[in-house]
This record gives sequence, C-alpha cells and structure tokens, in this order.
Amino acid sequence: MKRKRSRTDIIHDILRCILEKNNKIKPTHLMYKSNLSHSQMNQYLEELFAMGLIEKTTTDNKSIISITKKGTGFYKQYSQMKEFEKTFGL
Amino acid sequence: MVKLVFTPDWFLGKDILISFFSFFVLAILFWLSFKNYKFSKDKKNFLYFGLGFLLIALGELSTILTKLVLYYNTTFTQQIGQMIVTYNVVNSVDIFYKIGFFLYKLLTLAGLYTIYRVNYKQTTETDVMLASYFIILSTALSSSFYYLFHLTALILLIFIIASYIRLYKKNRLTNTKILISAFSLLAFSQLIFIFSKLDVLFVLANIIQLLSYIIFLILVIKITRPLNLKNEKKKKQN
Repeated sequence: MKRKRSRTDIIHDILRCILEKNNKIKPTHLMYKSNLSHSQMNQYLEELFAMGLIEKTTTDNKSIISITKKGTGFYKQYSQMKEFEKTFGL
Repeated sequence: MVKLVFTPDWFLGKDILISFFSFFVLAILFWLSFKNYKFSKDKKNFLYFGLGFLLIALGELSTILTKLVLYYNTTFTQQIGQMIVTYNVVNSVDIFYKIGFFLYKLLTLAGLYTIYRVNYKQTTETDVMLASYFIILSTALSSSFYYLFHLTALILLIFIIASYIRLYKKNRLTNTKILISAFSLLAFSQLIFIFSKLDVLFVLANIIQLLSYIIFLILVIKITRPLNLKNEKKKKQN
C-alpha cells in the first residue's frame, strides 16, 4: 500500500504537474493530475499563491496557472532534498 | 628519531593534496546536508549527518595544517645554529604535531560514529558516552600503536556499509549503490593503512582513499545536477 502524501509532497506534486505541462495548466487539469479533490486543491492553490510559488493569468475568460521563479527554485531544492534523503536513508 | 608519518620522501606533498581534495568533498557534503536541513526545517537527521561530514572535514584540515608545518618547517629548525635553541624548537614543534594528528584521529572517528548513528532511531546518552570513551581511548593509544586508529575507523566503516547495504535492499537506488562503493573503498584504504609501515602500502592506501572521495564527488554531482523532467516522469512511472 502506498503511503499517504505529506503536505510538502502534495505541493511538490502540484508544481511538477504544472512544469510537465510546459508551465501552463488549467485548474481542472491540475486537479486531475495531482489527484486532489476540488476543495483540497483550492486550499493548496491559495497557499501557493500566498507563498508566491505560482501565479494565475486570465485570457479569454480562461484561467491558467503557472510557476513563478521562486516556485521553480522551491521545486528544484525540494527534489534535491528528496534525492539526498533517499540516497542516504535519512 | 621517531617517525611521525610513513610518507616516503617522493610522496611528500602529494599526500597533502589528497587530504585537501578529501577536505573539499567532505565540506561539500556538509554544506549540502546543512542546506537540506535549513530547507526542511524540522529534519534533524540532515543536521547530524552534515555534522558527521563536518567533523571528518575538520580532521582532514587538521592533518593538512600539521603536515604542511611538518614537511616545510623541519629544514628551518635544522638550520638554526645553536644546539640548545634547536632542541627547544623541535620540542615545541613535536607537541604541535602530536596535537595535530590527535585532533585528526579524534575528529575522524567522531565523524564516522556520527554518520553511523544517524540512521538509528534510538540513541541513548549512555550509548554516546560509551562510544566517546572508546573513541578517545583509541585515539590516545594510537599515538603509540598507530594501527589502532585505522582499525577503529575500519570497524566503524564496516558498520556504516552494513547499514547502507540494508538500505539498498529496500530502495534499490543506484545512488545508494555508489555510496556503498565509496564507503567500501574508504574501508579498504583503512585496511591497507594498518600495514602502512611499508612505503608502497602507504601510497596505495592514499590512492584508494583518493578514489573513494572521487566517487563521493560523483555522487554529489549526481544528486545536485539540474533536473530533467522527462527523467523524473520515467522514474515515477517505473
């Protein structure tokens, strides 16, 4: 059985999903790709907006979510930390 | 005259370069671990792990400084004319060497023990006190029986390797495999150091130590290299 994702794991997954879609993703797609319910996703998105890790742009009444420079930095640092943790079993 | 190091004349200075390279790699490992600790905020394991590498790095620094003085200062003391003056200088330098090498051994063993202990959830104060006692004892005795230090380091390294083999059986990661090979080479170098009264073996042990730190550096590069999203995706699918 897969272990429950931590809060930071979920944030990492959200950022990864956005980056995989060339840094432009619709909120509905993001919800499906990151395996979250609507309310959970809104909660996380609000947090990520407040932290300045992602931004929202609206064109033709369509919302698009993308990662900021700070968000990319966070994603890289988190991935590196995970790799280090797994390698040394910390 | 008491021989302080077993370095053959033609190898003098080269062993300092190897120690310097080791110090550089260990300092990177400490910095990386500390950076991860600051990022994760609550994961103390990163901090202790980094501390282990920092202690070994400081040990290497201590041996570098001691050897620099030892190799490049001896001629100076010999050139002083007055016999009594020369005797006093040699005596004070002797104490400096002893402290330098004592610190090197103490810090290295303490660092290895810290790395070994990181992955164990339960560590009692008595465990740490007992280990500290044996580490100090082994360091103090190794000024008379030089091989004791290498033997203790070898034992600690074997324990570290065993715990990483257990980890590899669980995670099957290439990086952990690389880590095991780096620690195994380091252990092998300690085994050869035990017999390093022979010049050739001393040089061989140094070269093997250099190889192990090169592998550590490769591992650091593998961990810190820029991310490739396609690779990440593949990894996740696997």
